Amino acid sequence: MFKVAILKFPGTNCDEDVHHVLKNILSIDSEIVWYKRFSINDWDAIVIPGGFSYGDWLRAGAIASRTPAIEELINARDREIPVLGICNGFQILVEAGLLPGALLSNENGRFVCRWVRTYVERPRGPWLSLVEEGQEVHMPVAHGEGRYYIDEENYRNILLRSPIIRYAKGDNPNGSIYDIAGVASENGLILGLMPHPERASESVLVFRNFRSDGRIIFESLVYSLKRGW
Amino acid sequence: MPLDKDEIKEIKKILGREPTVEELAMFEAQWSEHCSYKSSRLLLKLLPTEGKHVIIGPGRDAPAVEIFKNWVVVFKIESHNHPSAVDPYNGAATGVGGIVRDILSLGAKPIALLDMLYMGNPRNSHANWLIRGIVKGISDYGNRIGIPTVAGDTWFDDVFNSQPLVNVACVGLAKFDKVILSSPRPRDLIVIMGNTTGRDGLLGSSFASKPLAEDVDKDIGAVQVGDPLTEKLLIDVIQILVDKGVVKYIKDLGGGGLTTAICETASDYNLGVVIYLDKLHTRQSLTPLELLVSESQERMLLVVDPEKIEDLAEVLNEYDVLYSVIGYFTDDGLIKIFYNNVKVAEVPARELANPRPIRRESKPSLDVLKGLKPLYKLPPESSYEEAIVKVLTSPNVASKRWIYEQYDHEVGIRTLIKPGYGDAAVLRLLDGSRRGIAVKGDANPRYTYLDPFNGAANAVAECFRNLVAVGSKPLAIVDQLNAGNPEKPEHFWYFEMMIKGVAWIAEELKLPVVGGKVSFYNEDHTGKQIKPTATIVGVGKVYDVSKITGFDFKEDGSYIAVIGVTYPELGGSEYLSRVYGIEEGEIPKPRPSSEIRNGRFVYKSIKLGFVKTVHDVSLGGLVSTLMEMAIAGRIGFEVDIDRVFARGVQRIDEILFSETQARYIVEVENKYLNKFLELADKLGARVSIVGRVRDIPNIVFLKNSKILAKLDLANIINLYNRVLEEEIEGGI
Repeated sequence: MFKVAILKFPGTNCDEDVHHVLKNILSIDSEIVWYKRFSINDWDAIVIPGGFSYGDWLRAGAIASRTPAIEELINARDREIPVLGICNGFQILVEAGLLPGALLSNENGRFVCRWVRTYVERPRGPWLSLVEEGQEVHMPVAHGEGRYYIDEENYRNILLRSPIIRYAKGDNPNGSIYDIAGVASENGLILGLMPHPERASESVLVFRNFRSDGRIIFESLVYSLKRGW
Repeated sequence: MPLDKDEIKEIKKILGREPTVEELAMFEAQWSEHCSYKSSRLLLKLLPTEGKHVIIGPGRDAPAVEIFKNWVVVFKIESHNHPSAVDPYNGAATGVGGIVRDILSLGAKPIALLDMLYMGNPRNSHANWLIRGIVKGISDYGNRIGIPTVAGDTWFDDVFNSQPLVNVACVGLAKFDKVILSSPRPRDLIVIMGNTTGRDGLLGSSFASKPLAEDVDKDIGAVQVGDPLTEKLLIDVIQILVDKGVVKYIKDLGGGGLTTAICETASDYNLGVVIYLDKLHTRQSLTPLELLVSESQERMLLVVDPEKIEDLAEVLNEYDVLYSVIGYFTDDGLIKIFYNNVKVAEVPARELANPRPIRRESKPSLDVLKGLKPLYKLPPESSYEEAIVKVLTSPNVASKRWIYEQYDHEVGIRTLIKPGYGDAAVLRLLDGSRRGIAVKGDANPRYTYLDPFNGAANAVAECFRNLVAVGSKPLAIVDQLNAGNPEKPEHFWYFEMMIKGVAWIAEELKLPVVGGKVSFYNEDHTGKQIKPTATIVGVGKVYDVSKITGFDFKEDGSYIAVIGVTYPELGGSEYLSRVYGIEEGEIPKPRPSSEIRNGRFVYKSIKLGFVKTVHDVSLGGLVSTLMEMAIAGRIGFEVDIDRVFARGVQRIDEILFSETQARYIVEVENKYLNKFLELADKLGARVSIVGRVRDIPNIVFLKNSKILAKLDLANIINLYNRVLEEEIEGGI
């Protein structure tokens, strides 16, 4: 059996939500791990959930990305252990240089909590193994600093070779460049995204006219851990 | 309010000597209106506080009510009106922090926040600054601590331009056997954990217990500054401490700071305390007086058995939470404060905690005559289409999306009915069952201004209907009464009438008022009081979350029914105010027996699956209710107003816009239409089938089968969703 770590920093607040989905919806063995006690050896995959690590002081994710726990994550990359960063988790991965680009304050300066339609390009790796090219995925966002930015050169050279999650036309909630909602390492082992798949994993939570599509990310992980990716 | 001469005399009598400066500051903090309820205490006794589910009523930091077997709901409301008038961002943020810590004091897990905001005209530049600051303060703080802000109430009115009302509520859940119910005993240790103590919020409660000064900015030192990260850590560690059984008693350091927390705990349990102020962890060097009355946020008092102090230290160190052991309880009933081995204060706990209540004089002001004025000379009716659009685009009616999208209303993955789609928020327990809890906050400042007794009663009734409309059984309420200066009889009268109105209808509806808060001195520097406002927050229990109902119309062809009788009650209505600028007349009568009868019918219809959409009728009458259902469902309707069952109505606008209480609009599951009508007969509820949901691009009001008003649905949706953003963002 495999085990998934849910990495918790001071101020992380979606840890219990991710734990609920992994444990009760997908029957995955998982544990919330306090950042001081985190070591890579015990885990088959790692989720960094959303929240406001260190209260977003300085910049979202900036302080968490300088903790020893992140050095462990760099080991995770080298050992090819899947890592998923959701919302603040995405911000931490970007701050740590594990994913390219930057996340800036939303274009209108306000926090935004709403459901959006996204679609996936070049699905690859353990988090997207069940997703088809171009597939539409519905999830909610909730963030104040989610405007993705990357320069054109890196966009062409790095991102266009890797899996990308984009907001559907008209659904970009924050002014992200190229409508980017999430990016991954080229092999798809490290995925970061602003929308919350754990909030879209049960039909009872779904907003009118949307679907509980976020679940496919966790289902992909189960599938991939069993059969490879 | 600084102490007056009589109070100082009284203090000398209690002590039998001249007080020290530290003692005087302690009395000033604790005897402030905010902490001691001295003007309101006698009247608060009128409220019905008991019920078979009530486990803890008023008195502790928060009340607790049994909602299901072995589950209790802990909920409370609080105002941060004065701080928000001076520093809207920090004032509103720390209001959220304070109410959350009240819930934590019983060991409950906070699962939802509500904000009831009564603010100025967005096109007034000062009010606009306040609105943005208040919403951002709640957003930044609430989002960071990971508690969803799921519901609330919003009102815009020039009267709140310089003194807004910021009422916030928090709802928590706890297992019955984990609720902190034990008592402190002599020799138990007193621990302060959380934030460092600094020089912010000095005598903040005293500042909140007097009118705003003309130059309010100089009171900035009395406003506290929030630190949501520390608050989040407090939330996390308290769950752990409660699970491990490490603490005996928890109390928030809120208004009155250390002084209030210590003296209320000691007084409640007939204990004394010895405190060493120099042991407290601080941000800067403070005098003993400042240490005693600072209202620095995110601090809590823990009572710990000396044997468990190491278990406590282990948890707090692991989670990087600061703490200091500052003293212990004794059995002599005296509060003894030391600083560097010098005794700076020694006062009896009970006398400090409980100043003598003051019986305030009360007398109606001439303003109330506006609420008695008969409306027999109403202006002639204008274009209905124009009037409908005007009411719907009133910031009080239009979508509050600009506000609630700034709140994370989904964190915790409990929120089933989300803002803008139902009369109340519904959260699941997330314990593997289908059970849930409904919450909502309500007020109508115009009603309570015109008629405080009936207006306050209507706020309770609206809250009751909102809870019923989503399919829950109303369980209990808390109230926040926002009033003017209690020293002015014509201000105090409003408070007295509001509390009597709440007490009366709560008794009628069998809804215990398990807790609440009073805010006085809500007047501007000219002495003009704001519209006195009674804010009610209620909780209801949901047995099966798969049966809850939102207010979005669902299906082409289904029948639309109005439940309840419509009376010509336009007094104090949104329609008169918005279309004609009239704010007078008799407000709608509270109708408790109809509320019970119709509420029972709606509740049963939902449970039996006879209806799929429910919306209570309130602000803006039948028109705004129907339109909101169409807008949320993105589907049209056709309704014939001749079919609305009404009594005494002489004008068409009375049917369209009357705000008569005890009414609902429902979308019927057509195959159950007969059963639905039979049930109505059996329960004595008056039902009129007024039209159908239609998959057409219009909403249509008919009279005598002729079109009275026809509006383009897409256009209406656009207006309804955008108007508030335009008022606020384009408002300067």
